[in-house]
Amino acid sequence: MTMLRALFLTLMTLCVAAPALAQRPGDLATGITEEEVAVTSDYQGARLTVFGVHWRGGRGKSDVVVLLRGPGEREIVRRKRRVLGLWINADPVGFSEAPSFFALASTRPIGTFLSASTIANLGLDPGALARLEGSTPADTDPAAYRRALVRLKRAEGLYRESAYGLRLEEDGAFKAPFIIPANAPVGAYSVDVFLFRNGRLVQQKPGEIVISRIGVEKTIHTAAHTWPLLYGIATVLFALGAGYVAAFAFRRR
Amino acid sequence: MSLYLPIAEMSVNALLIVMISGGIGFLSGMVGVGGGFILTPALIFMGIPPSVAVATQASQITASSFSGVIAHARRSGLDFRMGLLLSIGGIVGSTFGVWVFAVMKELGQLDLLITIFYVFFLGVIGALMLWESLAALRRRAQGGPPTRRRRKRGWAHRLPLRMRFPQSGLYISALPPLGIGLLTGVLAAIMGVGGGFIAVPAMIYLLRMPTNVVVGTSLFSIIIVTALITVLQSAQTQTVDLVLAALLILGGVVGAQFGARFGARLKAEELRIILGVLVFATALRLLWDLVAQPTELYVLSR
Repeated sequence: MTMLRALFLTLMTLCVAAPALAQRPGDLATGITEEEVAVTSDYQGARLTVFGVHWRGGRGKSDVVVLLRGPGEREIVRRKRRVLGLWINADPVGFSEAPSFFALASTRPIGTFLSASTIANLGLDPGALARLEGSTPADTDPAAYRRALVRLKRAEGLYRESAYGLRLEEDGAFKAPFIIPANAPVGAYSVDVFLFRNGRLVQQKPGEIVISRIGVEKTIHTAAHTWPLLYGIATVLFALGAGYVAAFAFRRR
Repeated sequence: MSLYLPIAEMSVNALLIVMISGGIGFLSGMVGVGGGFILTPALIFMGIPPSVAVATQASQITASSFSGVIAHARRSGLDFRMGLLLSIGGIVGSTFGVWVFAVMKELGQLDLLITIFYVFFLGVIGALMLWESLAALRRRAQGGPPTRRRRKRGWAHRLPLRMRFPQSGLYISALPPLGIGLLTGVLAAIMGVGGGFIAVPAMIYLLRMPTNVVVGTSLFSIIIVTALITVLQSAQTQTVDLVLAALLILGGVVGAQFGARFGARLKAEELRIILGVLVFATALRLLWDLVAQPTELYVLSR
């Protein structure tokens, strides 16, 4: 942790000293406190801050938006229906390329300075990113499914929008803290910083962070998926061993 | 103390899981049942994906049954031939059960399948447990002698394919033990239980096996079946979480050992009432989830 803090402080110093770098309108310098997140056995999620500085000269209002996005995945949304008095999951609708994780931090609600089409084009709306797969069952409303997808992912803490989560300082420095919960999947996450002036995109800076399993977590996960049969046999042997040890440990006493 | 589960892909409170599995292990050790049928729903209530909870639970049952077999080995007997028949039925049943499990997981209906099985079996078993123990209490209060059933020749004696079981002193058809094994195998695969709560009464009342060999024989077939399920689930659905298994085994096995020691000093009827209430309450809670109007109509499934 101390190493992280040192890194953070160094980068923040850089950030304060950086205005010299960003001298033309639209110049944008950015950084991320943690570019590699390790999933270890005590992993409880990660905290990271995206920071930067931009040149504030000229007229008009600047807005910064930071988007942290996990790899796209296939999601199936089902609607519950009552059958014989029981609520069962029915009418599946598939989405491809739904962001597995989506966190947005902005200086103010993006709807107040961006049009709906800009939001969709820049991929700032998780619902718009998810592509409808194939045909939907009859008498279903795809828009309702799309809304449900966003709502459900939000409830799992995987879609987060923080409309005022980004503080823009007087000198043009900004920082946006993010929390990635433990249930967010591993993989490469894109980090995009958008600079807007009067609602128009001036510059976009891409970045990336990687969340990966290391150590025991990696060994177990890899074993379970690469040699599933051996993994199962090993689990059984472990269980038998534990049962054996327990039986004798308790008999002696 | 939080711990990240590599297969469930979530962070859990390790101490809480050990305590819950220990508590349920303690209770089941006192009464002499497996406890999987309370532990699996408990894990699901805690937010562990049902597929991981059910598949991982199988390995915990392997461990607790194995330690049980060692503990029982001296005191009670084992009808090896009967155990083998139960296991053969169990192997067929659990292979079928794991296949159904995988298909339902693919269709997004696994949670529903597990819940329906639980509501039905927990409801029936909880009700029977309560009824039996209340009846026993009433008999004791009246001071009358416990009613004894006469040993009769049941339908298990009339079916074809008769075999000798010298250990149990029986000459019965091989079909009922195979059938009992088959049913418990299916339940074990789909519910994450050992199936002892079906096998033991069936062996006593249907096969009329002597009680001293029933527990050992049932544990023997449970070990074979749950070991197979662990391997099959690992191979087919990759839902066996080794870290979760270690936590469950630690709590469950230790809890059961203490429970067995404690249980010897307590009255069985009172214990059965507690367990019966617990089982019945779990069934009602699960049933409520199935019939109540959901606040969220949509669900995500992966």
